[in-house]
Amino acid sequence: MTRRSIVIGLLLTFVLVIAAVGVVSAVEYSEAPMLAEKVAAGELPALKDRLPEEPLVETPLESVGVYGGTLRRGITGPNDHNSYVRWMYDSLVRFSQDGTSTYPHLLKALTPSEDYKVWTFEMLKGAKWSDGSPFTSADILFWFNDVYNNPELKPAKLPWLYNSDGSLVEVTAPDDYTAVFTWKDPITTVPMEVAAMDNRDNLIPMFLPSAYLKQFHASYTDVNALNEMAKKESFETWKQLFENRQAPFRNPARPVMAAWMSVTTINDPIYTLVRNPYYPIVDTDGQQLPYIDQINFITYQSIDALNMSVIQGELDMQDRHVIMQNYPALVEEAEKSGKYDVRLWPTFGGNDAALSINYYYDKDPEYMKLFQNHDFRVALSIGIDREEIIQSAFLGVGEARQPVPRNTSPYYPGDEYAFKYTEYDQAKSNELLDGLGLTKRDAEGYRLMPDGSRCMIEIAYAPQFANWGDIAQMVAEDWKGIGIEGVVVENERTNHFAKRDSNELMTEIWNEDTTGFPFTGAPKFDPRTSPGVCIATAARTWLNSNGAEGYEPNADFKRVMEIIDEAKHVDPEKQAELGKELFRLWSEGCYEIGLVGLTPLIQGVAVINVNLVNVPAADTLGNDWPLRTPGNGRTEQFYFAK
Amino acid sequence: MASYIAKRLLVIPLLLLVFSIVIFFLIQAPPGDFMTTYSAILAGSGSSMDNEQLNLMRVDYGLDKPMHIQYFRWMGKLLHGDMGLSLLYMLPNTKLIGDRIGLTVLLAFFSFILSWLIAIPAGIFSATHKNSIGDYFFTVINYIGVAIPNFFLALLLMWICYDLWGLNLVGLFSPKYEMAPWSWAKIGDLLSHIWLPSLILALGGSARLTRIMRANLLDELGKPYMITGRAKGMSEWALVMKYPVRLAINPLVSTIGNYIPQLFSGSLVVATVMNLQNIGPLLLQALSMQDMYLSGSILLVYCLLAIVGTILSDMLLVWVDPRIRME
Repeated sequence: MTRRSIVIGLLLTFVLVIAAVGVVSAVEYSEAPMLAEKVAAGELPALKDRLPEEPLVETPLESVGVYGGTLRRGITGPNDHNSYVRWMYDSLVRFSQDGTSTYPHLLKALTPSEDYKVWTFEMLKGAKWSDGSPFTSADILFWFNDVYNNPELKPAKLPWLYNSDGSLVEVTAPDDYTAVFTWKDPITTVPMEVAAMDNRDNLIPMFLPSAYLKQFHASYTDVNALNEMAKKESFETWKQLFENRQAPFRNPARPVMAAWMSVTTINDPIYTLVRNPYYPIVDTDGQQLPYIDQINFITYQSIDALNMSVIQGELDMQDRHVIMQNYPALVEEAEKSGKYDVRLWPTFGGNDAALSINYYYDKDPEYMKLFQNHDFRVALSIGIDREEIIQSAFLGVGEARQPVPRNTSPYYPGDEYAFKYTEYDQAKSNELLDGLGLTKRDAEGYRLMPDGSRCMIEIAYAPQFANWGDIAQMVAEDWKGIGIEGVVVENERTNHFAKRDSNELMTEIWNEDTTGFPFTGAPKFDPRTSPGVCIATAARTWLNSNGAEGYEPNADFKRVMEIIDEAKHVDPEKQAELGKELFRLWSEGCYEIGLVGLTPLIQGVAVINVNLVNVPAADTLGNDWPLRTPGNGRTEQFYFAK
Repeated sequence: MASYIAKRLLVIPLLLLVFSIVIFFLIQAPPGDFMTTYSAILAGSGSSMDNEQLNLMRVDYGLDKPMHIQYFRWMGKLLHGDMGLSLLYMLPNTKLIGDRIGLTVLLAFFSFILSWLIAIPAGIFSATHKNSIGDYFFTVINYIGVAIPNFFLALLLMWICYDLWGLNLVGLFSPKYEMAPWSWAKIGDLLSHIWLPSLILALGGSARLTRIMRANLLDELGKPYMITGRAKGMSEWALVMKYPVRLAINPLVSTIGNYIPQLFSGSLVVATVMNLQNIGPLLLQALSMQDMYLSGSILLVYCLLAIVGTILSDMLLVWVDPRIRME
């Protein structure tokens, strides 16, 4: 046999194998026993009539699973609807497990034109909503025309849908399975934006069961009848009725594309969901997903009661609402009972406690001069012992770093910048401060301002989701060593926001959780973002008032805004470059002094039933809200080992 | 008597009106509104709503209007029997409260009965066996009952039950029955769960009642009519039960008015800790979320209960004490 024939032979085998796989999988789709029973009883169409012509195939994380079981999770009541959103991750595009890339989820493909001006949503032929009605491009058009563009329903503006001249994107549906979005400018952030267009924050997703929802929409149903219906349920208008009916966690009758569909509502003591018989995704063996039969979201009246249940092993998978401080107790109890496994999924990037300095603090011009001085900010930064904060406030987990994304991110600016000005060095700090002329000290060793008063900096925080009060105390203690008096101020949350907006804060401790996705959403380091942090509130005022009030943004802040605006329109490579530049600038500028990052502070302590398989291992799951963690771990392929 | 009751009943609407104003403005006193709290909750779990979105929602639900306008809107609805919309649940408040009032009243009723069943015999025993070991025993138990906040007692008992017997005493139903329709099995399940929260709630109240009962009875036991009774050869038991106990119970009856609303509000923390689905946690949630129509409506219901409780205890007094009837 010649070499050539071997190659051809191999190629042929390869083609045959592929064909065989294709044929086999086309024939041998299988379904959960509970659905097979319903098919046998004639209550449900056969599996092949429920799946799309070409179902999406998902590769299980570790192993192909078995059907069955009820998974229990805790929620804190109806305001916890994002628990549903995170678990389902029911969007047209999803982020990968590590959070660094996206892939089409309920779509066949989402493809840009060469110039990135036209994005085509290719839908799955034959895919169906959970009530069996077809899932087509009409469901995207219904959202765009009848919801987003309806003056009465109009939700808040979505900036990515607009061209730079302010006009709205054009959306067309050439056929049932194609939706086309046409912009005038190139836009490269579409997959990331689409990934966020689910039921997040109780808002309306970009694909809706139009056949069902038209009965609650004034363009299709008599508005008086709708308003009458609304009044009966204490709503003011049909708008609220519509918003209520479109939320799957409030209305079990609303068809979904998610892996599970509601049986009860989130207002009930146990919010129960069962598998969606029309879910258009199968595993590599052709078994229709999801593996788990039923999800029970159990309502707890308090976080403490929920944590009690977690410790007792009564919830099968819980990361949300697990109090980080319970970590040691959980590890101990896990060993004793053997019921569950505790895994840490540190936050995706940024900082869990960052000290923002108000660049435009104008209540005292002397302080403003200091805060605008780079050496002063650096001195404050290296005067802090971050290791101690990690040990005592974060149980030894996390790293001392600046607010930049994690090193797996395409925007990671490199170690040099991630750790810039984080080395504890009070001698150097004192040197810098002396160099600024702050050499006079009072009897207690504190430096004096030019007017003879003590150099005193307020560190404000609101008792929110972390022990920032303790951290602020530690910072203040450290600053004694460099002759600066840190005064810790606790503000009630609403007051804190008001003070921030009126430019009254000197510094504040908050988290910086927006570095992972600087070009979508509302990054806190963008001066235009509200609510943001206290760094450049006055620059926002300046921008909003067209220069009448506030202060003009400095060169760095201007560059930050430029980068953010530009990056939305350039190809991914250039985008990554811009991202790196952004974070080099941000870290070097030392405006938002990073203390500790990559801790499991926000939903990063996961307690998992030992029998639950295919759940990402410790530290392998990107943990962030835009990733819908644990949704990016693909909950539909979790299963209970028998 | 009838005109007395009618007069008392007629005052109810006026009282409710005054209460509604006080309640509405008090719960609106903290800074911010539902939307600020809501956005903070969302921010706590990573997501963030921008101000534009929040303001749109404010306009939607009339939160941008001045407070007195909001009050009149609420009142206008109340007069039509509609307590408004819960922003948190997106359900009519009437339904939310209606769904939970049954369990709330049941729990209150159970703990009320329990506290009397404990307090009266204990009080009689303590008074008739003054300074005996039994008296001291009840005294110590009473002081503990008064001194330990009942939610703490609940936490302690829950932890002990879990640690010793692996029992999880959270909730009023087993998971199996939580969402099931009512049946005898579900009622049985409820009864097997309700005793612990009832007992915890009853302990604090019964401690106070026992002390009152003991003190009142002691006052009576030394009176001359007791000596006369004994001289006439009445048995001690019959004598105590027939005269001094009936007198000593009066002040207890008059405390019912205070006791009923206390049972409801007292169950708030206990119910939250024990994850009971009654009105308490709903009120706590509504208050902390600043869902003002819901919290306002619940508080108004509480006020109504307090008023009715007072009237009831007055009527009971009339029934128990012939002297008042005569006047």
